[in-house]
Amino acid sequence: MNTLPLPKRASVVIIGGGVQGLSVAFNLVERGHKDILVLDAGYWQGGASGRNGTLIRPGFASVPWTELFILTVEEWRSWSKRLGENVMFTQRGYSVVSEAEKSEAMLLEGLKVQQSLGVNSRMLSRREIDDLLPAINKARVRAVQHQPEGGVAPHHAVMKGLLAFCQRNGVDVRYRTKISGLERTGPRVSAVLVGDHRIEADCVVSCAGPNNPDIAAMAAVPLNGFGMRIEAMALEPTRPLIKPAIALIDSLAYFHQTARGEVVGGTEVPERPRMSLKVDVPVMANMAKVYLEMFPQLGEVRILRHWAGQFHASTDYAPLLGEHPDLKDLWFSAGWSYGFAGAPAAGRLLAEAIAKGRIDRRMKPFALDRFEKTGPIIEGGIVLA
Amino acid sequence: MEQNNRQIEVTFLWNGTPVTGRSGDSVAAALWRAGITTLARSRKVHRPLGYSGSYPTGVLARVNGRPNVRIDQVAVEAGLVVEMQNTWPSPRFDLLRLAQALPPKLVYGGFEHGAWMPKSGLAYRLAERAMANLAGVARPADTSLAATAVAGERLDVDCLVVGGGPAGIAEANRHAERGGTVALVTRGDSLARFASSMGATLEILDPRVRLFPGMELFGAYRDGALMVGAPHDNRRGAVAFVPRKTVLATGRRSIPPMVRGSQLPGVLDAYAALQLAAVHRVMAGQRVAVVGTGAEMDIAEKLAALGVDVVHRGPVAELSEIMGRRRVTGIRAGTQIRCDAVVHAGPWRADPSLGFQASGEGMFQVQAHPLPQSFSIVGAAARGDERIHAARHVHPDTLVCPCMDVTAGELYCHIDAGETDPEVLKRLTSCGMGTCQGFPCWENMLALLAARIGVEPEMFARPTHRPPRRSITVAQAAGLAALVEPDQ
Repeated sequence: MNTLPLPKRASVVIIGGGVQGLSVAFNLVERGHKDILVLDAGYWQGGASGRNGTLIRPGFASVPWTELFILTVEEWRSWSKRLGENVMFTQRGYSVVSEAEKSEAMLLEGLKVQQSLGVNSRMLSRREIDDLLPAINKARVRAVQHQPEGGVAPHHAVMKGLLAFCQRNGVDVRYRTKISGLERTGPRVSAVLVGDHRIEADCVVSCAGPNNPDIAAMAAVPLNGFGMRIEAMALEPTRPLIKPAIALIDSLAYFHQTARGEVVGGTEVPERPRMSLKVDVPVMANMAKVYLEMFPQLGEVRILRHWAGQFHASTDYAPLLGEHPDLKDLWFSAGWSYGFAGAPAAGRLLAEAIAKGRIDRRMKPFALDRFEKTGPIIEGGIVLA
Repeated sequence: MEQNNRQIEVTFLWNGTPVTGRSGDSVAAALWRAGITTLARSRKVHRPLGYSGSYPTGVLARVNGRPNVRIDQVAVEAGLVVEMQNTWPSPRFDLLRLAQALPPKLVYGGFEHGAWMPKSGLAYRLAERAMANLAGVARPADTSLAATAVAGERLDVDCLVVGGGPAGIAEANRHAERGGTVALVTRGDSLARFASSMGATLEILDPRVRLFPGMELFGAYRDGALMVGAPHDNRRGAVAFVPRKTVLATGRRSIPPMVRGSQLPGVLDAYAALQLAAVHRVMAGQRVAVVGTGAEMDIAEKLAALGVDVVHRGPVAELSEIMGRRRVTGIRAGTQIRCDAVVHAGPWRADPSLGFQASGEGMFQVQAHPLPQSFSIVGAAARGDERIHAARHVHPDTLVCPCMDVTAGELYCHIDAGETDPEVLKRLTSCGMGTCQGFPCWENMLALLAARIGVEPEMFARPTHRPPRRSITVAQAAGLAALVEPDQ
C-alpha cells in the first residue's frame, strides 16, 4: 500500500484500478510511458474485476465483436510472459450450448462469421459432446458450438499479475482513493481532483466500471448506457467434473469449474434495475435449477457463497472505447458487459491510441458516438438479457 | 427408551474397515468412541483435522457416494459407507499425506504463481488439472445418484426466532402467547442442547410455535424481509420465511485459541465436548485440559461430573501451544501439561453473519449498519463479543483458517509487507473463503492483524459475510425457484 502523498502531476491518470485500468497502465508502460497514476475508490479486486465469471472466448455473432475478441485471446496468450507473472490463462475451451431450435440457428449463423475471421470454432457431434462434456445431461442439449481457443483466467491471478507488474514498473496505484472532480480547461480535461488535492494530467482514462457515468458527469459530458448488477455463486469444490467453460444461451447462464474445484457461475432473472452489492434468492434458486437440470451430479453439492457485482453497460452491450467526442484527452473504457475477457484488447488498443494517436480499425466500431453516427452494434451471441 | 436405543450396536464402514457404533450416535461420535479422531485432511498440506465443533471442514467425508457430507450430522446406520476425502490413491494408502513434509512457505497463497509453474499452453493445462484434483478435495458424487429438486416452502410469520437456546425459547413463547404466528429455527435436532447438557432447567416450547429443528438459517435477504434456511437433511426442503419481526437468539460460540496446534484432532469447543459427553457418552479424551475466559471452571466441573478426567483448567490467554502430531498430546500453559484433549470455553463471540446481511450496504464495500427496525437480538448474542487474546508474534504455523489451510505465517507475509486491508488479505490468502465463510476464522484473522500492527480489531471493516455458506444443496435451492418471485 502506497502511503506517500499524491503527486501534483501525472502524464496519465487512470480512474479505476480494476482489470481495465491496470491493463491500460500495463500497455502504456510497455510503450514507454512514465508517470502513470491509477486511482481507485474501492479496494483491490473489490469491483467487477474480482466478481466476474472469468470466462474468455474469441467467437461471437458479429464481425466487430469477434475481431475484438480474437485480439483479446491473442493478448491473453502472451500476458503471463509479458507480465512476468502467471495469470493462469487456460485455453480449455468454451462451449456455447443451445437448448432450442432458434438458438441453434443463431449459433450456426455465428459460426459462419467466426470461421470467416479464422476462429477455430465448430459444432460438436454427439460423440464429441460425450467426450468433452461427459457429465452434461444430453437430453437437454440441442447443439454445442465449441471454441477450443476459449477458456478462463482466474481473476485473482490476473489482478495479482497486473498489480505486481505495475508496481514493479513505477506505476503509482492507489486504492481507497476516490476522486471528487475533474477540471476542464477549454476543450480538454486538465486535472483530477481528490478532495482538495489537484493532480494535473495530460490525459485521463476512465475505467471506472459502474462508476463511469459519475466520471462523465464530473466532466459534464454525456455517456451512453446504464448501470447493471448481476449475481454469481460458487459451489463447494470437488475434483474436476466440468472441463470447458460453458454458456447456456437459452437459460442465460454461464459457468465453469475453477482451478480449485469450485463451480462458479451466474444467471439473470427479470427484476427491477437497481445498483447494489447485495444478493437475492431468485438468482441462487434459478442457477441451482440450471445446474440440476444440466449437470445432475451437482444436485447434492452445496452452495458455498453468492455475491453480486455491478457494471455499466452501453445500450447495445458493446464497449465504449476511445476519446470522448466532446472533451479532448478524456478517454473511456466503458459500457462493458464482457469486460474481464476484453480487457487485454482494450488496454492495448487504448494505449496505442493514447501513445501514438492511432485508432486501430478494430477499435473504431466501438467509438462513443457510434449511436449518433453509425447506429448500435447488433450482436446476438452474448448471454445477457 | 433412549437408553435402550443406545444399546443397539450398528456396524458401518470407515475407509473399508467395519466400525461399531451405537444407534443414536452421529458418525463422528461413533468414530471418536472407536478412537478414530482424524476424519479429514486439510487442503494444502494435509494436516489431520477432526471433530472440533468450530470448523465443518474437519467432519466432511464421503458417505454412500456423496461428497462433503457432515458426519457430525449423520446418524450411524448399518452398512453406511463412510470414506475420508482428500486422499490419493485411496484413504487406506494415501500418498497425498506426504504433503505434510512440504515447507509451509511453498504453499502460501499465490504459490501457483511460482517461478516453477508452467505459464501457458498444454504444460500449464496439465499443471492446472493436477492442481484442481488436489484442491478439489472430494470426488464428485457418484453418477448413480440422480438428484431432483427438493420442493421448498414459503412461510409468512409474525415472528421468526433464530436459535433454539433458552433465550430463543423464551422469546418464541412470549410471542406465541400474544397470539401471533411464530416460527423457531434451530440448528440442533433438539432444543437447547448446550443448556441442557449444562443441566439447566428449560421452559417448554409453546405448542403453537412452529419448530424447525435441524435447520440452518443461513441468509438474510431484502434487508431482512426474506430469511432463508435449509435443513441439514438434504432430502427435506428449504424454507423461505417472510417474517414481520425477526429475533436473533443465535448465542455465542467459543473461538478456537490462536496458538500453534489449535486445529489438531482433540481440540474441541465447549459445546462439542459437552455434547459428546452428555449425549453420546463419549469422553473428549483420557486427560482433558479446559481453557477459557471464565467459563472454563463451570465447563470443567460439568465435564468432570460426566466422568471426564480434567487435568488442567486455566485462562486461554496463558495457553501458548497445543502439542501433538496426529492428535493432541499436551499443552504448554506456563508449564508443559500432558493431555489428549483441549476444550476451549471462550473467548465467546456471536456469529455476525445474519446481522451483517440484514443491515449491510455500500457501493464499494458492503459494511454493516444498525439493524433494521424489525430485528432484535436477545440472549447471549446481545451480550457483546469477548476480546480475542492475540500476541504480536503468533507462531507462524498457527492455523487461522483450517478450511483453506491458511496459517498466521501466511497472513504475516502480507501484513508485514504493508497489506492491512482485510478484504485484500482475504483475496490474497483465501482466508475465510472455505466452508465456514468467515466465522470463526475472520474473528481470529482480524485479531491477528490488529495485534501485529498495534491497533484495535474493531477499526477494520469486516469482509462480506456471504450466504449461504454451504448450508443448502443445489437441489434444495432449486426447490425455491418457484416460491420466491424476483424483486420487481
